[in-house]
Amino acid sequence: MPIILINPLDETPRLQGQVAPRLDTLAGKKIGLLDISKPGGNLFLDHLDRLLKERYGVREIVRVTKPTFTKPAPGEVLDRLLGADCQGVIEALAD
Amino acid sequence: MLQTGDQAPSFSLRMLDGTAWQLGRSGAGKPTLLVFFETDCPTCRLTLPYLNRLADSLGKDALDVIGISQDGERPTRELVERVPVSFPVVIDQGLRVTRLYDPVAVPTLFLLNQEGRILQTQTGFDKEGLNTIAAAISQAVGRGPLVIAERFDGAPERKPGCVSRHLEAAGEGDLAAPVDVYAKRGVRATRIELDKGSDPDEYCRQAGFGDPLPVIPPTVERVERMLRAMALPPDEIIGRIPPNYGMATVEKIAANAVMAGCAPEMMRVLVALVRAACDERFNLHGVQATTHFAAPLVIVNGPVRHELGFACRSNVLSNVARANSTLGRALQLILTNLGGARPGEIDMSTLGNPGKFSYCMAENEEENPWEPLHVDLGFEPYQSTVTLFAAEPPRGVSEHNAREGRQILKAISYTLATVWSYRVCAMQEAVVILCPEHVKTLRRDGFTKQEVRDFLFQNTGVPLREYRDGGEGTQYVKLYEEVLIDGEPCYRKFRQPEAIKILVAGGTAGKFSAVIGSWATGPRGSQMVTYPIAAR
Repeated sequence: MPIILINPLDETPRLQGQVAPRLDTLAGKKIGLLDISKPGGNLFLDHLDRLLKERYGVREIVRVTKPTFTKPAPGEVLDRLLGADCQGVIEALAD
Repeated sequence: MLQTGDQAPSFSLRMLDGTAWQLGRSGAGKPTLLVFFETDCPTCRLTLPYLNRLADSLGKDALDVIGISQDGERPTRELVERVPVSFPVVIDQGLRVTRLYDPVAVPTLFLLNQEGRILQTQTGFDKEGLNTIAAAISQAVGRGPLVIAERFDGAPERKPGCVSRHLEAAGEGDLAAPVDVYAKRGVRATRIELDKGSDPDEYCRQAGFGDPLPVIPPTVERVERMLRAMALPPDEIIGRIPPNYGMATVEKIAANAVMAGCAPEMMRVLVALVRAACDERFNLHGVQATTHFAAPLVIVNGPVRHELGFACRSNVLSNVARANSTLGRALQLILTNLGGARPGEIDMSTLGNPGKFSYCMAENEEENPWEPLHVDLGFEPYQSTVTLFAAEPPRGVSEHNAREGRQILKAISYTLATVWSYRVCAMQEAVVILCPEHVKTLRRDGFTKQEVRDFLFQNTGVPLREYRDGGEGTQYVKLYEEVLIDGEPCYRKFRQPEAIKILVAGGTAGKFSAVIGSWATGPRGSQMVTYPIAAR
């Protein structure tokens, strides 16, 4: 008698994620900065905000903050980024 | 993934014509090239014709080229006819062989010598790599140099492949298919038939079924024994385990329970435990993904402690009882195998926590003169419950000199002040485990449980002078409450008395209590959850 095992691993079917097309330049673009609300994240993003405009000619920055870093971004946070029609988003950690 | 120098595991798989193809324990007796591929991978389609050329040029006597399809028979047959593929192709049903060889991506080529040792591997499409393999085999069988991939033949020099199917299912960052969150029934787990003579323990280890300790192989017979102990259909979904939201069906829970060494009667506890772990308030997603020490601490209350033999006395936090050790381990296996938070992958905890092997205790209700935890929370004493707390490792409090209850509580308050980090206040909780000897003194002095909690709340603080040189916690002082403790200005450690959870546990000898700190708490972190266990 062959030994038969019950597969104990995750077999939940999933769709493969698609990588978004890359931007060829930052100049003139509208960029979202997502603050995950860790301590110091705002300081880091303030700095990035300035650099993106000064050094890379980013046209506009949209700042959005997650209510807590311990959970995935809720729908309304993602909707704000999508609604702002950003061409790219930078999600920033901190600490 | 297996590497150069490893012995290729033996296997037997069915070819498209229904006959079996077998790789023996010591190879196929001639050089063999195993080619793992998927039918919808463009890089695989690009690679296969080059391998036709290799197989055709050297002939069957010199080399076996074997395609191992990670897809079903129909798409494989279509691909083999369309490309076409001139060498034998086998179907890896249930991805059993894929898990043994563990390729990261497809196509992956394993070149084996005649004794079955891996000479070379290649992942993705790479002309230079293909030519190196061709030259090596050609030379080994005494032929001249062989080039199968010309530099300018219209194909790129190299092209990355697609993620291997067995990693795809648990892939971090994949977009989940639209999930029917109300679906009650999932699908049955696949069956994995082991080759005759293969060692099931070794198979489980290689396939990554467990933690690093050996597991009990989840054979059909053992899993069925578990299922018989629980009057629920095997495909019923108990929860979806974050962060990958893998379906925890009764059958999957049973298979992991077998591996952890649980007795079948443990199923009713495990079902309640999985429900608790998937409660949004517990925020398992964050608990599993944080770099902090947090691990789910399981606290068992009620008659189930005696029915299933949970330890609540001496050594309660360690290796004393099958029930504690296997329940805690089963939860961890479910969280990694179904939830996907594998250490070193999604779980990137800086130092980890020994509790991630198993972190399960029961309350010593017999030595507890007050109400046990579950009764505090509104359950009846005759009910049994499991509670989950996102916990740091325990900190010991030794207090053998105190003559009075309040001195014991002072000693505990000094340790309580250190949870998370000494100067961080107002955002964490703690479990205080009082040992029976300390409880006796507290009881003699007339303390109720609420008075113990209030005393600890009032007396745990961090002196203001500790904040002079900055550091973690200093940035939030505006949120802290300033109080006087023994005449010294302090910030209060906890936001409210309920942040301190009191338990009684441990042996009757020794005046050692313990403090267990939390991860981030409240609605923005993880909240303690308690679920009832079905009665026998």
